[in-house]
Amino acid sequence: MTPATSLIRQTISLFYLALLLAGLATVWGVGFFFYAVRDLPRVPEPLSRIIETPPTEIFAATGERIMVLGGQEAVPLSRVSPHFIQAVIATEDHRFWEHHGVDKLRILKALWVTFFEPVKVQGASTITQQLAKNLFFSFRQTYTRKFREMLVALQIEARYSKRQILEAYLNQIPFGVGAHGIEQASRSFFGKPASELNLAEAALLAGLPKSPTRYNPYRHFQRAKERQKTVLVRMAAVGYINAEDVRRVFKTPLSIQPRSAETRTGSYFLDVVLKRLEERYGPEVLYHGGLKVMTTLDPQLQSLAVESLQVGLAKIDQILGITDQGKDDVNNSEMYPQGALAAVQTNSGAVSALVGGRDYSKSEFNRAIQHNRLPGSGFKPFLYYAALESLKSTPATLAVDKRVTIPVVGAPDWMPRNFDRTHEGPMILKQALMKSVNTIAAQLVEKTGPEAVIDVAQRSGIVSPLKPVYSVALGTSGVSPLEMASAFATFATGGIRHEPFFIRRVEDSLGRILQERIVGGKRVLDAGVTYQVIDMMQGVLDTGTGSVVRRLGFELPAAGKTGTTDDYHDAWFTGFTPNLSVCVWVGFDRGVGLRDVRGKGITGGRGAAPIWADFMIKATGGEPPREFTIPENIRFENLDPTTGTVADDWTRNPIRVALRNGQTITKPRQPSTIIEEDLSPE
Amino acid sequence: MMSWVEPRDVRDWLRRVFALRPILLTLLISSIIILEMRFDWIERSIGAYLVTTNPSRPESGAIWEKGRRTLTARKTLEKIVTDRQVSQREARSASSLFKIAVSIAPGDGVMLSAERFRQLYLKVPPSIAQEIMSPFDLLQIASEGRWRRTYVEKTVSGLAVYLLDADNNVLFQIDVPSDVLMQLKREDTAPVETLEGLPNFEQRIYTAERFFEALKAFPEEMRRSMLPHPEKLLQISGRIVRVGISDEAVSGYIDLGFEVHDGNRPRVVLIPGHEWAVWRLRSFLEERGTSLNLSAESSENWRPK
Repeated sequence: MTPATSLIRQTISLFYLALLLAGLATVWGVGFFFYAVRDLPRVPEPLSRIIETPPTEIFAATGERIMVLGGQEAVPLSRVSPHFIQAVIATEDHRFWEHHGVDKLRILKALWVTFFEPVKVQGASTITQQLAKNLFFSFRQTYTRKFREMLVALQIEARYSKRQILEAYLNQIPFGVGAHGIEQASRSFFGKPASELNLAEAALLAGLPKSPTRYNPYRHFQRAKERQKTVLVRMAAVGYINAEDVRRVFKTPLSIQPRSAETRTGSYFLDVVLKRLEERYGPEVLYHGGLKVMTTLDPQLQSLAVESLQVGLAKIDQILGITDQGKDDVNNSEMYPQGALAAVQTNSGAVSALVGGRDYSKSEFNRAIQHNRLPGSGFKPFLYYAALESLKSTPATLAVDKRVTIPVVGAPDWMPRNFDRTHEGPMILKQALMKSVNTIAAQLVEKTGPEAVIDVAQRSGIVSPLKPVYSVALGTSGVSPLEMASAFATFATGGIRHEPFFIRRVEDSLGRILQERIVGGKRVLDAGVTYQVIDMMQGVLDTGTGSVVRRLGFELPAAGKTGTTDDYHDAWFTGFTPNLSVCVWVGFDRGVGLRDVRGKGITGGRGAAPIWADFMIKATGGEPPREFTIPENIRFENLDPTTGTVADDWTRNPIRVALRNGQTITKPRQPSTIIEEDLSPE
Repeated sequence: MMSWVEPRDVRDWLRRVFALRPILLTLLISSIIILEMRFDWIERSIGAYLVTTNPSRPESGAIWEKGRRTLTARKTLEKIVTDRQVSQREARSASSLFKIAVSIAPGDGVMLSAERFRQLYLKVPPSIAQEIMSPFDLLQIASEGRWRRTYVEKTVSGLAVYLLDADNNVLFQIDVPSDVLMQLKREDTAPVETLEGLPNFEQRIYTAERFFEALKAFPEEMRRSMLPHPEKLLQISGRIVRVGISDEAVSGYIDLGFEVHDGNRPRVVLIPGHEWAVWRLRSFLEERGTSLNLSAESSENWRPK
């Protein structure tokens, strides 16, 4: 056999072999086709059905939309910028207008790359295939799924026009930050409708669907810019623009609008709202029912709260000697102190701001609500109220700061100590609260009984379980910052309790009311006694343990109380003006106390009060001073804080106290006898 | 005729390769490929076939699942809205405060306009209206001009009525206790002439003399619980002939029925007593074996002083 004959023979053999294989492949393909078609999903008619779900919208108290759940904001193709359409087609599927659902040349190229260049990855999905995948299939990569996705794409192409397909695709692709569809994305990133996108903006957006997280311009702007360049180059390659356009547009500065509340992927406040809505209506209604939810959130206060907490925690990091290294590591989040802030409107109970941690993206655990920590001395106002209400005592009653041992039935004696381990001797009760003297608080709770303190705390709004032990008066039962802010708001209103709430009104998509909040208060504390406690707590800010608030420049009438627990595990400050009650907590999530580099502990006055002050200075900026309402039965006396007698010109550091009608100033006596007599039950 | 013998030389090979059949076969295959590349006829055929089978295929996949959830959500919402609307409609068409109370489920409430509540309040007899809320308080709130709506809520102890401003802040809260509701119920119910007309009182009808003798056996404080408002009986003209005790307790109260004759026609006056006290009175009456079903004529008359 000659070589030429041999060659012809081999060629012919190969031809027939190829023909045989092609035949077998065809038979297998037909079989696989009928296998895959068996439970192929039905395609909805019309295709626009995919965008019919109304979104659930959540609004702030100001009317600003702060979150959209589910649903899509669909726009016709005529209201989408041609730049964006070209950018998407050039990037995702440049033969979109020609093919019929699958791009065979691209498949062949992808197969070649898959078999001969294993390091590279080549996608071959057309826009129609991507639409089919998004509508019907999971993201699990299998050959069967891919084939079924291709079949659905063929059906979509056979049934709908290219414009209909493109419109459906553009209205459902995810762009990240909770934006689905081009209209939402355009409004989220550039604050304008999709029809007004320029080439630079369109190129940036067209690059996002490939990996919305990886190219998120808020987090990775440089990567997003690189991706924008890739899109522009593709546009030039396809012929939509020229090379000069690529250079010019790439240099065009992008005015991405600041991340508004709406584009935030989550926040502690919204988590609470969603949880409450889900509990009441169920997940189907929440995510697919198209609710309109009016919340109590004040976006300005919320952003100030986030800012104040983050700035304050950064300062505490410095004090603790914690470096920035590893800060972005989620697993290391326990290395850093956490914080929480809750702000409640005193006259209604509306929660205006809520921050449950230093960074929601790293820890979604809501410390403002879910984290019951010991409030320490922050609980003393409830004790002092109980004492003023149930004992004969007044803020002017003289008590003695001394070592105390309180017998406890069936348990070792209780021997509370002052924070600084020293004793100052006689002082009036107002001074004792201002200086947060534990030994005097212990003597008071011994007289009132822990039940009275618990009763006052619960009447004021504490809902966490409280142990009926003496030490409850010194804050040894866990409470949340929101509870503290809400309970102190009851003081701020002169004893009228308002339940804290997050949702004002819920409507369905047609505007029919499903739920609305009735804002009513209930008198739970006596106005006169409450004012006396407010007056004492004003002293805490003016010259007591919370005086840092005044030193930092907060000047409006306000009252509050610091709290610090054993080993500095928790630092609290809860304070209020007549309008706003705010609680700040700072501490590690577990195990570690707050101590600076020299080992000195961080108290509520040092750790939490500055954050409170920073927030309140900004939150109340421009507000005229408003005094707390003084009940008619209140009068004031200036006293000597160490003797409880009326101050004269020679008295050092006199203190003004509020007394109710009928309450008199005691004459100087031996302090040890005064305690027994004046603190006896009424 | 196909030759099954292998060609012996190149010329033979070429003759066979370029014969009509192979050329036709090659042309056929090539045209299939070219036509497919040019016109996508396979895709079109498959697509067209799938369009025909579309209605018989399952509604599965993310978009259908979403659709089902949307449908469930719509149904749930529709039920919530319908229930609320029915409740509101009943409340708006109710002719009295008591009928509103009946139409609301415990824990639920209805919103009324300020004007509607004012109309309902005016329908309440003055003595009961005073117990609900002083008309002077209502006048004052109305004159302030902030009162927009009224929320009526059914509570464990009766009704809670909130007078609201435009922002739903409570301007005034009224608690209507169960005994006042029962009084309202009585005002709403058509008058009954004799105790026999009230099925709840069957087997528990006593002569007035026996009833008041039994009542007298208890201390004053207890009697106040059994018959909290004796002055209302004193205001009635006529004489009490018989007294019945209902077997139905509502929110801790049991009705006592007083059958009064004033010369024209008999009528029954209902007064609620505290459940626990009325049960003791009833036990006392039954222990004495005095449970009677006497006619008015056979009983000795008792006239309130």
